Amino acid sequence: MALWIWLIPLFIIVVIALIVVYYINRVVVLSNRIDNAWSQIDVQLKKRADLVPNLVETVKGYAKHEKSIMEEAIRARERMLKAGTPQEKIKAGTALSAALRSVFAIAENYPQLKASDNFKLLQEQLEGIENKIAYSRQFYNDSVLSFNNMITTIPGSWFASMLGRSKARDYLTVEEKERKPVKVEF
Amino acid sequence: MEKVNVFDQIGKNKRNSILLSFLVFVILFALVYFISQLFLPELAFFILIISFLLILADIYFSYNYGDKIVLRAVNAKPADERRHRYLIDTVEGLAIAAGVPKPNVYVMESDEINAFACGKDPKHASICVTTGALENLKRDELEGVIGHEMSHIRNYDVRFATLVAVLVGLAAIVSYMFLRTLRFGSFRSEDERKGGAIILIMFIIAILFAIIAPIVTRLVQAAISRRREYLADASGAELTRYPDGLANALEKIKKINEGKMKVSEAVSHLFISDPNRSPLDNLFATHPPLSERIRILRSM
Repeated sequence: MALWIWLIPLFIIVVIALIVVYYINRVVVLSNRIDNAWSQIDVQLKKRADLVPNLVETVKGYAKHEKSIMEEAIRARERMLKAGTPQEKIKAGTALSAALRSVFAIAENYPQLKASDNFKLLQEQLEGIENKIAYSRQFYNDSVLSFNNMITTIPGSWFASMLGRSKARDYLTVEEKERKPVKVEF
Repeated sequence: MEKVNVFDQIGKNKRNSILLSFLVFVILFALVYFISQLFLPELAFFILIISFLLILADIYFSYNYGDKIVLRAVNAKPADERRHRYLIDTVEGLAIAAGVPKPNVYVMESDEINAFACGKDPKHASICVTTGALENLKRDELEGVIGHEMSHIRNYDVRFATLVAVLVGLAAIVSYMFLRTLRFGSFRSEDERKGGAIILIMFIIAILFAIIAPIVTRLVQAAISRRREYLADASGAELTRYPDGLANALEKIKKINEGKMKVSEAVSHLFISDPNRSPLDNLFATHPPLSERIRILRSM
């Protein structure tokens, strides 16, 4: 009988310990998910930047005189690759996207370029990548929302401050025109 | 966006999968026990040991290779890297949005618009789309359909649904595949006359299966909650941020599909819209009515 009474506080301690472990893990998991979401965006941004050399090579074959537009795209790519922080990367990415769009616009004046298989393939790839960038941003923002909800509500907020992760993370804001799938015909 | 009911759904699917495996195990084992007691009581012990191992193997294979069996049963082919680029990109994009690994992408030959997902968990999942869907759906509509399937994967609906198809509907799948082989005449070889008796016996077995299978599969599909389709519609729309895409796709499905896809009844609950419409649907519908799903999506 006496033994049973001692088991009650033990049980309570175990339950509390489980709750603490759960919340601490949850804060860490949600915070890691944001980092993972960022790396998804990063991969896609890198892929988009890597389209540039191929694209320039293809366009050159048909439209030699459009040097300035192509140089602009190459410069935008270099800036993109040099960018360090997420904010810088997003900004450079937007510039690169605009530069790529103007390269694709060239094709309107060069029917042969527009009809070439290589060019069509690049167009499809760009469209796919742009969509994935939009989706990976969405996942990033969803992850930020989950994390921020966790660390601003009780009891998540207690554990977050214990772990030193009580700072709400920032959302990635997206310009409205970028949200739509890119149509490369103008 | 974290929603409590999604976590509930994951837990429920995992529990249901274990429960189903256990149930199938008990039923099959009891069946073998009674039959062996009836006909071969002196060998019952050996039969039970062997059947114990066989049933365990059946469940193990159904769990790990159920998706392959289902994909085989509907004659799905892996999507072509070049020709189906657009489909593969859409699937990859929505996998990113859902935060799950990229599923394998398959295409099956059919004029009707349909799609399904299968697999044991998000790491081992496949999405299959009909050629009719690729031809008839616009990009945002296809995204809506893929988003719906992606939420089935994320919610572990695929685990339970695939297990149901393979564990319970195996007889139906086998008889269906058998009938298909008969129809396409793989048996029309030179030893046709010699194999006449064998063909006759197989034919009788197939007919027996054909009688039992629909009864079993109707029971199976009654086990699958229709609520999961509404839930997948809603969380799919959350992924694409555009409920009208899926609503338009369902509208097209309503208009174009005749419910005459040639697939086994055992897998029909996996599809986004009922692939085989039958008069029995009034009694046990396997899918929620399209008009109701469209109405809910439009009101989001």
